[in-house]
Amino acid sequence: MNNIHLSELKDVPVKIIWAVAFLTIMGLVVLKSISQHHVGGVFQNPFTKQLFFLIPAVLLSILILITPRYTIHKYAYALYAIGVLIVLMPFFGNPHAGTYRWLNIGLPFAIQPSEFAKVFTLIALARYLSDYNLQMKKFSTIILPILLVMLPTIIVLKQPDLGTAIIMMAPVLPMLYWAGARPFYLFLILTPLFSMLTAFHSLAFTVWAIVLGISIFVARPKRLMAIALFFGNIFIGLLSPILWNSLSKYQQSRVLTFINPEKDPLGAAYQIIQSKTAIGSGGLFGKGWGEGTQTHLKFLPVQESDFILSVMGEEFGFISILIVLLVFGLFIIQILKRSFLSKDRFSSIALMGFASVFMAHVFVNTAMTVGLIPVKGLPFPFISAGGSFLLTCFIMIGLILKLSVNYSE
Amino acid sequence: MLKAENIVSYKQYIVSISIIWILVIILLGRFFQIQILSYDRYSKKANTNRIRKITSTAPRGLILDRNGQILVDNSPSYVLTAIPGELKNKGQKFDIISSIIGLDSLEVSKNYKKYYRGKFLPTRLAKDLTFSQVSKLEENKINLGGVYYEQIPDRYFPSKVKASHILGYVKEVDRPIRKNLGNKQRYELGDMIGWIGLEKQYEYYLKGIRGTSFYEVDAFGREVGLAKGLDSQNPEPGNNIVTTIDIDIQYILEEIMMGKKGVIIVGNPSTGEIIGAVSAPDFEPDLFTGLMLEKDWEKVLRDPDKPLINRMIQGLYPPGSIVKMVTATNLLLNPEFDPNKYQRCDGHYQFGDRLFGCWQSQGHGDMTLNTAILNSCDVYFYKNVHLINLNELSSTFRSYGFGQATLLDIPGESVGIVPTSEYMTKRYGRYGWSKGAILNICIGQGELLVTPIQVFNYINLLATNGNAGTPHFVMVDKIPKNIAPKLDSKFWNRIKTDMKDVINHENGTGRSANPNVDGMIVFGKTGTAENPHGENHAWFIGWAELDDSKYSIVVLLENSGSGGAVAAPVARKVFAQISKNTQLSFYE
Repeated sequence: MNNIHLSELKDVPVKIIWAVAFLTIMGLVVLKSISQHHVGGVFQNPFTKQLFFLIPAVLLSILILITPRYTIHKYAYALYAIGVLIVLMPFFGNPHAGTYRWLNIGLPFAIQPSEFAKVFTLIALARYLSDYNLQMKKFSTIILPILLVMLPTIIVLKQPDLGTAIIMMAPVLPMLYWAGARPFYLFLILTPLFSMLTAFHSLAFTVWAIVLGISIFVARPKRLMAIALFFGNIFIGLLSPILWNSLSKYQQSRVLTFINPEKDPLGAAYQIIQSKTAIGSGGLFGKGWGEGTQTHLKFLPVQESDFILSVMGEEFGFISILIVLLVFGLFIIQILKRSFLSKDRFSSIALMGFASVFMAHVFVNTAMTVGLIPVKGLPFPFISAGGSFLLTCFIMIGLILKLSVNYSE
Repeated sequence: MLKAENIVSYKQYIVSISIIWILVIILLGRFFQIQILSYDRYSKKANTNRIRKITSTAPRGLILDRNGQILVDNSPSYVLTAIPGELKNKGQKFDIISSIIGLDSLEVSKNYKKYYRGKFLPTRLAKDLTFSQVSKLEENKINLGGVYYEQIPDRYFPSKVKASHILGYVKEVDRPIRKNLGNKQRYELGDMIGWIGLEKQYEYYLKGIRGTSFYEVDAFGREVGLAKGLDSQNPEPGNNIVTTIDIDIQYILEEIMMGKKGVIIVGNPSTGEIIGAVSAPDFEPDLFTGLMLEKDWEKVLRDPDKPLINRMIQGLYPPGSIVKMVTATNLLLNPEFDPNKYQRCDGHYQFGDRLFGCWQSQGHGDMTLNTAILNSCDVYFYKNVHLINLNELSSTFRSYGFGQATLLDIPGESVGIVPTSEYMTKRYGRYGWSKGAILNICIGQGELLVTPIQVFNYINLLATNGNAGTPHFVMVDKIPKNIAPKLDSKFWNRIKTDMKDVINHENGTGRSANPNVDGMIVFGKTGTAENPHGENHAWFIGWAELDDSKYSIVVLLENSGSGGAVAAPVARKVFAQISKNTQLSFYE
């Protein structure tokens, strides 16, 4: 069982590999354009840095491909523990630009441990949810996995890194859904959040209370639970404005800026405006490689990572965005297909997790560049520059390829 | 391990695929909206984002004298500017600048507000920096991010003459000035605009066309080169103007008027060209260029002699006896008047219950028109007043150009006062004045007020039998048509003879105006104008004929005594100089 089955490799989903290759090359083309006028060493130039990281990234994915799935399953919890530890480590070092996101271990580049932790957490969650003794129909069974993910998430949130925290939480509900949790329960998890948010607007709160009431009525839980759920939510809703008002103005604005950085007009709003201008001025076919004025005159911020899609939109136009997003959609669908066809529950749930993580990355990053959601510092998979992120992406690809292969034990 | 079966249903698979496609379509829809539907808007935005328009000042045209010598030139001046968008820690930077150029930092910040046009447009902080100041600023460049300097052409006066009231000065266009301009788009804040004098009159010719260049800037506002596809335009200098001024004559006139108050105008009566003119006191022509110090400005403004007033065109004076030729014209046009009939002057004349005196209290004896003019006898004219109607007299005055602008090419002329009976009634009431007023007016006193430039035009008309050109300072093809009284040449010649006698007769009041140059014949008339505010104003008007040329002159010396004693000798000096000036001749 520990031997490598060559026959397994034949079953590797080639479409996924092609998609990844296409996106990675696309990213390199864009990064090369940005790097034209860069001076400095390999690690100061986003293009060469990306090329450098591709080598260990591909090697890692191959290494994972030849690792037995049994081993992965076996060490899932140990990896989770490591993940929690490494996201704690930056807090013992010096802050990097005022945050504790980065770990400096004497390499010419810093490591972002939360990137790795998100993969480890995902595998641990998949293992927990694939336990055949699990009674998914009970509401209490879905609380523990949520807490499992909450631990590293809260640490990451403290770093503070809202973007990565969102990505960590993103696969939880889809994986629970895959594991057979009742959609109603998943809905219930979200109810306190809605109650808190709608509480600041009387009409919204009323509508929400009605929706909540109907949902509870349709789902027919036990009477006591139904009453507790409904009034619990109303209570949370009523309480939140009081709690909010007890905060000082300074604290309130801190929270608001954290949730919506556009509150800071010179920062995030400027970035969004420049990003939309770059994308919009690209038109259908773009301005051509290396001809993006917004990009090259540095109007576009963090162009090599968070706003790389804006560079692509400016230089290659709507056509390139269309192709990239369609390829990405097909890539995700391929993973979901493999997940659906998978024979064992662990692989299936883990694949669903990876698909969710990738999709969350793409959606949050893309929606941000076009001003659909507030600015969150999140890169675009395979295209954005970033060492730790590229490694993580290829680790996930390795895992996806591995778990996609069906085998008979 | 791994024993649990996959329990994902087909329905779950379809739900998740649908969600993925919905999200992808939302994103693509948004890109379609931005890149395809709003393409024009963002495209335009991207261009304005990166292109900065920089304009450069065009040098103004030069002002030359009649022989091509430069009266007003341009010299480069350094202007300190800042790009507001790049200027962090304003106060601190202003302090550094202040310590280097010696201008109060409050003043620097005032300028900053005054010239602010936009976040990415250069805003003037200070001007007229010396080269050493610019070098010191350059040394401090590291602390002065966002601060730049540029060279602009400034007015510079290389000649020995001042001619400040003629040349005028330029002013910087500020917000209120720009607001009131008809052709706003031609001017930017900090531009120069002709404010008075020739600078104002010929602004259209002197102002050049500003140059424009388009620079590509990066997000930090730094210029990274010329923008592709947008043509830059070099500044086009303004046109030069050639004046009728002769630097040497102007210089002499200025020397003569040094320390005096009054006006002197010298010109060519036929063409109306003015060769030299001074309104004294005047001011240094560069008073308004450069960093005018508050105390200099205060000094000029508070000067009781009002050097900023251009007396030539704005000073209103009683003309005194110099207008007796107007009264003579009026009398000669009356068929009942006999110029050879004697009228006795006893030094005074009783009119109604008032006694009117002659300037010579012992009297001139028996006078004809000729002797009345050469002696400047007042009583002779009083005794003929029954032949004069006020409104006819006033229209004779108007036919000589009094009471109206001469259309001189310097803006801001006063028109003076030529009283009519309507005017008198309006001023004093129906019964508040009597015919006695004519006694004053006919000898150039009373309500009558004239400007020296009107007097200059008047003497030109007399010198040319009414064929004088409109007074002007700049050589132009077409000068406005002048007016003149319609008189028989025998009358013109008669008046000329009388004026010749003023200078050449042994009793003539203008004898001291004669430089006794061979071949030069001088004509003239003196005037001693009483004024209610002090000492009499001394007038001399006249012309000299030398070869085929004529040179007319007006001398007015405020509060300095009698025209014959004070003003006529000034004319003599000028005529003597003209006879030596070989460059000056008006052979037609």
